[in-house]
Amino acid sequence: MSDMSDLDRQIEQLQRCEVIKESEVKALCAKAREILVEEGNVQAVDAPVTVCGDIHGQFYDLKELFKVGGKVPETNYLFMGDFVDRGFYSVETFLLLLALKVRYPDRITLIRGNHESRQITQVYGFYDECLRKYGSITVWRYCTEIFDYLSLSAIVDGKIFCVHGGLSPSITSLDQIRQIDRKQEVPHDGPMCDLLWSDPEDMQGWGVSPRGAGYLFGSDVVNTFCQENEVDLICRAHQLVMEGYKWHFGEMVLTVWSAPNYCYRCGNVAAILELDENLKRDFTIFEAAPQESRGIPSKKPQPDYFL
Amino acid sequence: MATSDADDSLYPIAVLIDELRNEDVQLRLNSIKKLGTIALALGVERTRAELIPFLTDTIYDEDEVLLALAEQLGSFTPLVGGPEHVHCLLPPLESLATVEETVVRDKAVESLRIIADQHSQSDLENYFVPLVKRLAGGDWFTSRTSACGLFSVCYKRVSTNVKAELRQNFRNLCADDTPMVRRAAAGKLGEFAKVVESECLKSDLIQLFNLLAQDEQDSVRLLAVEASVSIASLLPSEDTEQLVMPTLRQAAEDKSWRVRYMVADKFTELQSAVGPEITKNDLVPAFQSLLKDCEAEVRAASAHKVKDFCQNLSPDVREQIIMTAMLPCVKDLVADANQHVKSALASVIMGLSPILGKDNTIEHLLPLFLTQLKDECPEVRLNIISNLDCVNEVIGIKQLSQSLLPAIVELAEDTKWRVRLAIIEYMPLLAGQLGVEFFDEKLNSLCMTWLVDHVYAIREAATLNLKKLVEKFGKEWAQQTVIPKVLQMSRDQNYLHRLTCLFCINLLAEPLGQELTTKLMLPTIITMGSDPVANVRFNVAKTLQKLAPQLDQSSIQTQVKPLLEKLKADSDMDVQYYASEALEVLK
Repeated sequence: MSDMSDLDRQIEQLQRCEVIKESEVKALCAKAREILVEEGNVQAVDAPVTVCGDIHGQFYDLKELFKVGGKVPETNYLFMGDFVDRGFYSVETFLLLLALKVRYPDRITLIRGNHESRQITQVYGFYDECLRKYGSITVWRYCTEIFDYLSLSAIVDGKIFCVHGGLSPSITSLDQIRQIDRKQEVPHDGPMCDLLWSDPEDMQGWGVSPRGAGYLFGSDVVNTFCQENEVDLICRAHQLVMEGYKWHFGEMVLTVWSAPNYCYRCGNVAAILELDENLKRDFTIFEAAPQESRGIPSKKPQPDYFL
Repeated sequence: MATSDADDSLYPIAVLIDELRNEDVQLRLNSIKKLGTIALALGVERTRAELIPFLTDTIYDEDEVLLALAEQLGSFTPLVGGPEHVHCLLPPLESLATVEETVVRDKAVESLRIIADQHSQSDLENYFVPLVKRLAGGDWFTSRTSACGLFSVCYKRVSTNVKAELRQNFRNLCADDTPMVRRAAAGKLGEFAKVVESECLKSDLIQLFNLLAQDEQDSVRLLAVEASVSIASLLPSEDTEQLVMPTLRQAAEDKSWRVRYMVADKFTELQSAVGPEITKNDLVPAFQSLLKDCEAEVRAASAHKVKDFCQNLSPDVREQIIMTAMLPCVKDLVADANQHVKSALASVIMGLSPILGKDNTIEHLLPLFLTQLKDECPEVRLNIISNLDCVNEVIGIKQLSQSLLPAIVELAEDTKWRVRLAIIEYMPLLAGQLGVEFFDEKLNSLCMTWLVDHVYAIREAATLNLKKLVEKFGKEWAQQTVIPKVLQMSRDQNYLHRLTCLFCINLLAEPLGQELTTKLMLPTIITMGSDPVANVRFNVAKTLQKLAPQLDQSSIQTQVKPLLEKLKADSDMDVQYYASEALEVLK
């Protein structure tokens, strides 16, 4: 019980956008690992659940998301990765989500995005932020170790396949995903990399991705995959869409984006997908948190990884 | 024995005196703050002979210590032997009044002002006035600035000759080369005007006022505006018209917006100072021009005054002036480009309604209210909504409902959830203003719609709103209009709405009381304990835990506990957790 109240206190603290102690991060990550290691590469999730896209360290916008979608544990959530980098509060954002995961493992699911990686976070801000906020890279190391345990995808009621990026030419069935040994840094190529990096594109078959990792996949690929695996919908994040969500190939693939005014400058709205117990879809759109509900703005000049 | 006792009791004082000389600022500061104790222990004579000269010499200390010292000396009169010796406090205060740090100087002047009254007339002339003159003639602007605040406290009780000298000194300060000194003089002109004889006011001070009001520095001019309020209130109205108004008219059109802002800010005070006749002839046009000022700050400051200004107009011309002179300006402000101006106006505009009466309100004001209710700035809309009651009293609820409610209802469905939220937060207030029948007819359905809003924050606010409405309209009303709809939500398709049902029950139990909660709501809670979605089930457990004090013992034993026992064995971890927690509390 005292574990619970400690955790509840840490959650409260993180919800005020205050970091927790390094020793607390260590303990939190240890508990998170015990939970995450039990999850499958295609984690089964029950409806009802609210599906969310990229957050990117925009802490106050994540709080806005909870204001719009409801609090944990009352509302169930599935976050499709990219919790960190680019925003000012990657540390608080990821630790809050992780603490919620540890406190309510059945109410919130976290899967891995391409930014949950040692290499990428060293370039796009999370590494620097950890160093700045803790004075050492220990917390970054704890967090990136946990990244390796995050599941690669999820399937809601066996019907909606959720993944950060998209499909891979090396994967035709969900079982093939289940066979990946995911506990490693995101590789530069191969099925695990593709799941986190690919994008849908108006085309047939496979194409080279301009991102330098993953592939572009066309509507025929999606059709085959969905039929093969008896999936109704592929839900993914990974790409900024100005309206918060976007359909591809009719209603086969859906992009959900949950970072409003991305990088504090893109002017986009964000969305969450609310699936009720009958998988009825409902989108809720939200905007960036108003200025007065944010903390003191950072005095430091914007780092150069801003777009 | 007796001597050693006395020595012992003096020991702490010796320490304090030592610490007055200590190198550590903090220790000196502590000691200064206990200066009264030291003086008391030394006795009045040694305080006069030793402590005060010593303090006069410490004037070169840190500002913090000086500030504390300046403050202490203001209440030192009894400690130096009462009013007949009070003048011995003047030397240290005089030095403090010349230091560079403004806060120290101001505090010294404050203390000097306090002790001025305690001087006898002869001491005032022999000690205090010479000090004022020395300060006023000081080389450094700091002492001359300090001098300005000392004229009004000594002027009244000195002889005619000395008075003439003091006026001459003040005149010199008003014409000082340093703007800081002129600023101080302008700031004190009003209080000085109150103590000089009325013929001197007309012959001397008006001149000074006009001089300062035309100063090259706007910071001096705007302080002169402040002084004009006191001066105008001292003069008979024909003199005000002749001597003050020309300058004031200029100030209202000053090239510096800060001066015009000051005029706007002081407008209602000016209005009561100059009286109804001058208001009608002079202030009305001036106010019109301030309301049309090119600077938004000025327009906002004057917009704030619209209601009070109109209210204070003399009754025989009030309506005519408002209709012909004020309303056209107000109409322009409603469409102002600046949201602070619109918001300032919105905070007072409803107050015009009782002044103008029913017909004028309906014809002229309602269209303006409507426009503001639809303003793009939420603050403007909210200022209108939160002042509806005064319009309600004038035109009646029927008229109000026909004209304004459609706009309110429209806002209630605004696409921005924060606007909806703001409207919800005003619902209890509106409910109080409109009464239950009207509320049921027009707004009740809105309140129910918010419960199933797709934004959680709105659903949450809507449940809180229901609680407040039930507190306002009572159990009977709740039973007929609210409860059936809330309970119906327990069968909604969407688990989020079923959760809202539980949240409502949580909040409504208290105003409804034990009997109704048990009778009406417990059966629904129990049924929801078998909900297919775990989130609903563990919120049933949470709800039961919270509601236990609201339920009777037999229901707890026969219904609540068995359900919680069942939930404790649920397949979901969180359901188990919250059920065990509830059972723990119910033990």
